[in-house]
Amino acid sequence: MLFLELFLQGLVQGSIYALIAIGLTLVYGLLRVLHVAHAGLFTLGGYLGVLVTNASGSLALAMLVAIAVVGSLGMAIYRLCYQPLLEKPPFVALIASIGLFIAMEELYRLIFGPYGMSYVQPPLQDVIVFAGLSLKLAELTTMAIALAAVVGLALLAGRTRLGLAWRASVTVPQMAASFGIDIVRIRYLNFFIASGLAAVAGVMVALLNNLVEPTMGSVPSYKALAIIVLGGLGNVRGTLLAALALGVIESYGTIYLGQLLDRDAIAFAFLIAVLMVRPQGLFGKR
Amino acid sequence: MKKHVLMLVFGALCAAHVAGADTLKIGFNAPLTGFAAADGKSALTGAELAVEQINAAGGVNGKQLELIVYDDQASPKEAVPVANRLIEQDKVNIGISGSYSGATRAAAGVYQAAGVPYISAYAVHPDITRSGDYVFRTSFVGEVQGRAGAKLIGDMLAKKRVVLITLKNDFGKSLAAGFREAAGQFGVNIVNEYEYSIKDRQFGPIVAKVKSDNPEAIYASGYFFTAGPLVSQLRSAGIDVPVIGQEGYDSQKFIEIAGAAAEGTIITTSLDRDSNAGETRDFIREFEKKAGYKVDMVAASGHTAVKVAAAALAKATSGKALRDAVAATRLVASTGEISFNDLGEVRKDVQVQVVKNAAWHHHSTISDAKLLAPPMK
Amino acid sequence: MLGLDAYHLSLITAVGISVGVALSLNLITGFCGQISLGHAAFYGTGAYCAALLTKAGVPFALGLASGALLAAVLGVVVGLASLRVRHDFLAITTMGVGFLFIGVVRQQDVLGGELGVSAIPDPGLGKAGFALLCVGFAAAVSAFSVYVKRSWMGFVFDAVASDEDTARVLGIDVPRYKLAAFALGTALAGLGGGLYAHNVKFIAPDSFGFVESITILAMVVIGGIGSVGGVVLAAVVLSLLPQWFQFIDDYKLLLYGGLLFAVMRFSPGGLAGATRAVLARMRGA
Repeated sequence: MLFLELFLQGLVQGSIYALIAIGLTLVYGLLRVLHVAHAGLFTLGGYLGVLVTNASGSLALAMLVAIAVVGSLGMAIYRLCYQPLLEKPPFVALIASIGLFIAMEELYRLIFGPYGMSYVQPPLQDVIVFAGLSLKLAELTTMAIALAAVVGLALLAGRTRLGLAWRASVTVPQMAASFGIDIVRIRYLNFFIASGLAAVAGVMVALLNNLVEPTMGSVPSYKALAIIVLGGLGNVRGTLLAALALGVIESYGTIYLGQLLDRDAIAFAFLIAVLMVRPQGLFGKR
Repeated sequence: MKKHVLMLVFGALCAAHVAGADTLKIGFNAPLTGFAAADGKSALTGAELAVEQINAAGGVNGKQLELIVYDDQASPKEAVPVANRLIEQDKVNIGISGSYSGATRAAAGVYQAAGVPYISAYAVHPDITRSGDYVFRTSFVGEVQGRAGAKLIGDMLAKKRVVLITLKNDFGKSLAAGFREAAGQFGVNIVNEYEYSIKDRQFGPIVAKVKSDNPEAIYASGYFFTAGPLVSQLRSAGIDVPVIGQEGYDSQKFIEIAGAAAEGTIITTSLDRDSNAGETRDFIREFEKKAGYKVDMVAASGHTAVKVAAAALAKATSGKALRDAVAATRLVASTGEISFNDLGEVRKDVQVQVVKNAAWHHHSTISDAKLLAPPMK
Repeated sequence: MLGLDAYHLSLITAVGISVGVALSLNLITGFCGQISLGHAAFYGTGAYCAALLTKAGVPFALGLASGALLAAVLGVVVGLASLRVRHDFLAITTMGVGFLFIGVVRQQDVLGGELGVSAIPDPGLGKAGFALLCVGFAAAVSAFSVYVKRSWMGFVFDAVASDEDTARVLGIDVPRYKLAAFALGTALAGLGGGLYAHNVKFIAPDSFGFVESITILAMVVIGGIGSVGGVVLAAVVLSLLPQWFQFIDDYKLLLYGGLLFAVMRFSPGGLAGATRAVLARMRGA
């Protein structure tokens, strides 16, 4: 029973990782940019979730506002930050992104205060008991959203003209452009979706912890990088699997490896081991 | 009332008159930016309040106090030049740390070498006072509070099967060490111990395991931002045994985060919200007016450290004489009656607080001098 | 020294260490083009090794040297990774090494665990003597960097940095030079770590985390990757920044992050690149 509960908790954590990492891998797939500031958008999602829910009482409204605002900001970051750097060596955009992330964390601290914020009346707190396993409604929702996001992305990519254009821009950008695909529009859309997912993750994490802090993104930002590499950069399905696997491994690791290795180091130990054997990542293609 | 206003005006006139000329300087390092900024701000506000109170009442021997503040980002690397600057350039009479352990430990060595007394307001690292005889601490070391926690659980609450959830840093580790040391004495059996990192907010796996351990009480170290989510997750998993924490929980933010789950949480700390002591009541009222939010332990510690410094400055203003004056402190401050042992560690009672109706309230006081004796070397 | 007070000496000490450590990363990332986001791990290895040895009674100089050696050993191991993965993958691998380093140190009671190592003995050089030693360290690493840059090795590093595959085709033993860059750079970082430990006299895992790695990297990229003069200037300015900016307290980190972003966004060649561009324009005009 404990074994199952730990597994379930691992899946919850893994779903959060997935929501953050999928956006990151989308950005990497299209632009080859390691978008560290993505985690700053995740934090903003959390703040908007708390602020709007506390003001309006509606979590759904908060979710929509967070997606709209954070998604637009993501597009702005692409336009102002990454687009001019695409021709430069990859580390340039990476370091610019790290700088942006530090600045964002500090801005949140200055604007929202250092103490963090909480939902006054956190929604989705009911506990569901099924076959002896208990799960908070918020945890269940998080898993459902992660699943819906992946299925939705798969449908979008596989079943629509837009998805076709998107896939073409990822694999053969020049040819896609010569076939009249508006690559710039695809990139904006890509950033909107990626950032929107981060915003949703932020709202849900803020709800699970009942706390948003300026530094909420610092652990996910770097761990998500490890996850997208393990998942084979740019591969959504691989990223989902890697995220869930890491969540479950960390869950057992916290209990049984706690004395040996920091929980936050597990991801990287795993990452280094995998990269040495398969430099293209766990689910990556050569 | 009129008298107070007159005194204030008089104080202000005096301040204007002596401005810059002849003040007693207290150096203050605290994290005002970065991850620890929240605590740094609280400690600073508490310290500023103490300075304002003392200056409004005429200062120390007629001299105004001046607080010189630098940001150390809670980083040992930044704390060294900050300490040197306070000592060498600003020529402070005495220093206070409103910062975390790393920065305090690094600065303490500089103060010790320069022969300037240094008071740590709330940093917990056991080696801070071991820097030498010029370094003092007005808060409990982790071990002392850990022992108090063991007495609280084993003796006062009479719970014997306990699970430890330990924050993996100097604070959590030394609390756990103190708790383990005294556990046997109170018949407490430690069933299991789990560790978490200061960045963790999701405790699902630990909560699931604790549930299967089925303890009678949980001794969990942490700060309000880890303990809030932890306690709320323990409660929503249906674990309803007492959770015992420490001064790291001691903030209204803990109650905001954990919500209804916070009710009944008991902590060992150094501030008694329901105290009858004039000094404490006065501090709580004035602080909440100045800061605009509910008082916390860190603020009270910053306030206490300044009061200790001021009392010593009344007797001597520099060097060995000032050190001896600090060492001989006997003072009723906002965190209780203060005196130091030979190592410079504070001796005072442990206050036990409990969350009732969404606020911290008095639970009991532990004043077992033998159990609470801080380390001597 | 020169009648400076202890405050200025402590600044000079800190600046000297920063310059040396930033240049040590510049050897790896700047000269040889191997991006590293985990340099603080080597810096930390040197710090822990030297501190624990001098605490055990080993002479200061021997402690420093051992720290440098151990850091270099670790550096070569990580260098082996750079033979397998490149670019972004290498960046993330080295970042992982950094996280793994503090993850392991935190759990080892022998290394002080969470409590760190305190009461590191004073090398007995006095504040001025120690400051002089650190300035000497910075000067020596600068001179060494300039020397390497002009040598055959520097030429090969440059070839590896700009196009590894072509270098290989030209018959250059790329793995050997990559490992050499890692060994040299990490040894010097280890030396800097030993100096840091004996300056602050207290070390804990948090001092060698990802933030520190980024701080070091920021000095290199803001100065201008590969430019010795630029990196020295950036290291001096960035390590003094927190002290100078006491007056704008609240906005310090914001400014720091913003600066990192702005330099990359508008002048990816860093200060050195910007200077070159300005000079070229003036000559053109």
